[in-house]
Amino acid sequence: MTIGATATRIPIWRNVRVIAWAFQLVVFSIVAIIVYWLVGNYRVNTASSGIPTNFDFLDNPARFSIPGSPFDGNQAVRAAFGVGILNTLRISVVGIVMATVIGILVGIGRLSTNWVVNKLSVVYVEVVRNLPLLVILVFVFLGVVLQALPRIENAWRPLGLVVVSNRGIGVPWYQSGSGSLLVLIGMMGIGGWWVLARWRRSVSERTGELARSGPIGSAFFLLAIVLGWFLLGLQVSLPRVDGRTIAGGIRVDPSYFAVLIALVIYTASHIAEIVRGSIQAVSRGQGEAAKALALSPFQRMWNVILPQAMRVAIPPLGNQYLNLIKNSSLGAGFAYFELTNVAQITVGNGSPAVPAFTLALLFYVVISLVTSAVVNLANRRFALVER
Amino acid sequence: MAHPGAIRIVAPPAKGIAQLLWSDSPYNSGGELRKTLIFLGAMCVALAACTQTAETTTTAAGNGAVAPSGVLLADVQSRDSLNCGTRDALPGFAVLTEAGEHVGFDSDFCRVIAAAVLGDATKVNHVDLETADRFTALQSGQVDVLVRNTTWTATRDGSEGATFLQPTFYDGQGMMVASDSGFASVSDLDGVVVCVAKGTTSEGNAANEAARLGLSWEIRPYDDTDLIQEAFLQGACDGWTSDVSQLTGLRSAYPDGAEALTILPEVFSKEPLAPAVRDGDTGWAQAVNWAILATIQAEEYGITSGNVDDELGSTEDIGIKGFLGGEFEVEGAMTRVDPGIGLPVDFAYQVVKQVGNYGEIFERHLVPLGLSRGVNSLWTDGGLLYAPPYR
Repeated sequence: MTIGATATRIPIWRNVRVIAWAFQLVVFSIVAIIVYWLVGNYRVNTASSGIPTNFDFLDNPARFSIPGSPFDGNQAVRAAFGVGILNTLRISVVGIVMATVIGILVGIGRLSTNWVVNKLSVVYVEVVRNLPLLVILVFVFLGVVLQALPRIENAWRPLGLVVVSNRGIGVPWYQSGSGSLLVLIGMMGIGGWWVLARWRRSVSERTGELARSGPIGSAFFLLAIVLGWFLLGLQVSLPRVDGRTIAGGIRVDPSYFAVLIALVIYTASHIAEIVRGSIQAVSRGQGEAAKALALSPFQRMWNVILPQAMRVAIPPLGNQYLNLIKNSSLGAGFAYFELTNVAQITVGNGSPAVPAFTLALLFYVVISLVTSAVVNLANRRFALVER
Repeated sequence: MAHPGAIRIVAPPAKGIAQLLWSDSPYNSGGELRKTLIFLGAMCVALAACTQTAETTTTAAGNGAVAPSGVLLADVQSRDSLNCGTRDALPGFAVLTEAGEHVGFDSDFCRVIAAAVLGDATKVNHVDLETADRFTALQSGQVDVLVRNTTWTATRDGSEGATFLQPTFYDGQGMMVASDSGFASVSDLDGVVVCVAKGTTSEGNAANEAARLGLSWEIRPYDDTDLIQEAFLQGACDGWTSDVSQLTGLRSAYPDGAEALTILPEVFSKEPLAPAVRDGDTGWAQAVNWAILATIQAEEYGITSGNVDDELGSTEDIGIKGFLGGEFEVEGAMTRVDPGIGLPVDFAYQVVKQVGNYGEIFERHLVPLGLSRGVNSLWTDGGLLYAPPYR
């Protein structure tokens, strides 16, 4: 090679960047050829058997009903997909919240010095983490919901408020009417809680007294709800057994209940391990310093250790949330009408398979991407910026 | 047309690349780059060749309005095995026994088709399918024929891309309840939970029936009949709806005994159960159709697996002889009947000898369940089974 001729331009065929581009082009064309071949094959095969490949099936009548929702068989398939997505979101949101709470408690419990709490947490995490979710789901559905819960004729009625049976769990609810206003009041209550918390924190920083924003804020929220209840004149509707079904109140679908419990049990065990690991990642000095400052164990955990631990824990937690969202699709085998189940049923009723499942895939991708974006946002906000 | 200036631009890089590939340079030490580029080039060429062949075969199939007929028949005969879509746990129709054999009405019809097309009723590959993916398996070619107590409907003919053949069982949809529940008729069922198999016509029919009678049913679809049975045992379902033949089979296998369940008298839809093949291959469809019709025609002629050899040997009836593929005299020359469907000349003989006629198959599997012939008798007995003449 010409050494010392630093002023000459590198010829194009020896330029490393050009070669890299050429390589990229070759790989891209290989992938493009494979995709073109697969798609072409699909189109030709479906054309020869007359199967439609567009999204027109979304306007066909669904011909199946979804229990627990006003959807009936005469509405279009797109409405069924809407209900499916709502159900997936419903179980995901509730599942994520419950799994996080239980996971954090169990994770902390595993580090506890109380022998019983410690051993229980260890057993729970070690057993459940090593079971496949489908096995847990079958067990919860068949063993717990179908067998352990009583038949409708012998339904349990604890305190006369709740009806528990293997056809559903009835819980008291407000009478239908101005329920949306109550939700509005609830949201204003949460806003008030936040404002109160900020005020209490500034007071605490100024005067040094305990903020107690938790108790004060939740008291305000409950007050707002109760006041709103009386002002709007809402009434409670209690559930009761009516023939072979539960009337009144709101009914928790047994499939929803089973899938939720299984998802929460499974994901909480993973979250417990993540939380435990992240707490152990916080240097011991922090805990010892907090102890030296005479902070109570709760204050130590809540104000010193957990905030630092959560920084480490957020990316793997986000992962578990995504897993929970995707695992909700297992509800399809147990009569829970989430997105995968709806797609399977419409395909069984004559909708073309590839477009229907592509639609379901796209929705899962969107839901997962939104969740990842939220988690990344939280991560960036809490991350330690190192200089 | 290449611009003359372009040649001045293209030639040096070409020379340079050639130099790059073959000589030693820092970018090609040990010949790595050369080897990589040659490998990629070879792969590109191979893929292009594959795409060409794939496109020519698939476009040849898709160019005309109809695919070349009889392709699947030739495939099955060259493969020497029939992929038959079935199920594994419906008593009377298709049950996978502990010995690993599929036993049942539908399984026997798989064997009928194999006997006709391949000459050997044992050359069947039973593919167990879930209800929700049976049509996808058929459309994708995973199975050659679907004999899985599937109802013939217009939508399945059309947008599911299936072609339905001679129905093997004319059925209807019914409702099964626990005997001690006190329900005596479908109109007693109000505000109940009805369980059904996912992705079947039963779901839609149940919803229609509830709307028609003004009842409110909560219809829960499950993947698996095992789950429905468990739910029923635990009292989570009040009613189980499906084809009456399926209900009869499931009732006979109920853990608490068949008397614990009652099938209500109302039948609320037409459910002709028929084998199905993929759209687009008329030759295969006709071959399979005639295999099934042979069982019906055999029963009409009175030919059973026991007397088929006698009939072939000693009958004077040219119709029967021709049907079984025997030789008979026409204007001084010996001839056989070969309608040109693509099946061997003696396919009907093989079918009856190795499996039996329709009546024998029905008696073997469905009579023990308690089903009677009803509308599934021959037209000469007032039923719906009528085979076109074999000539």
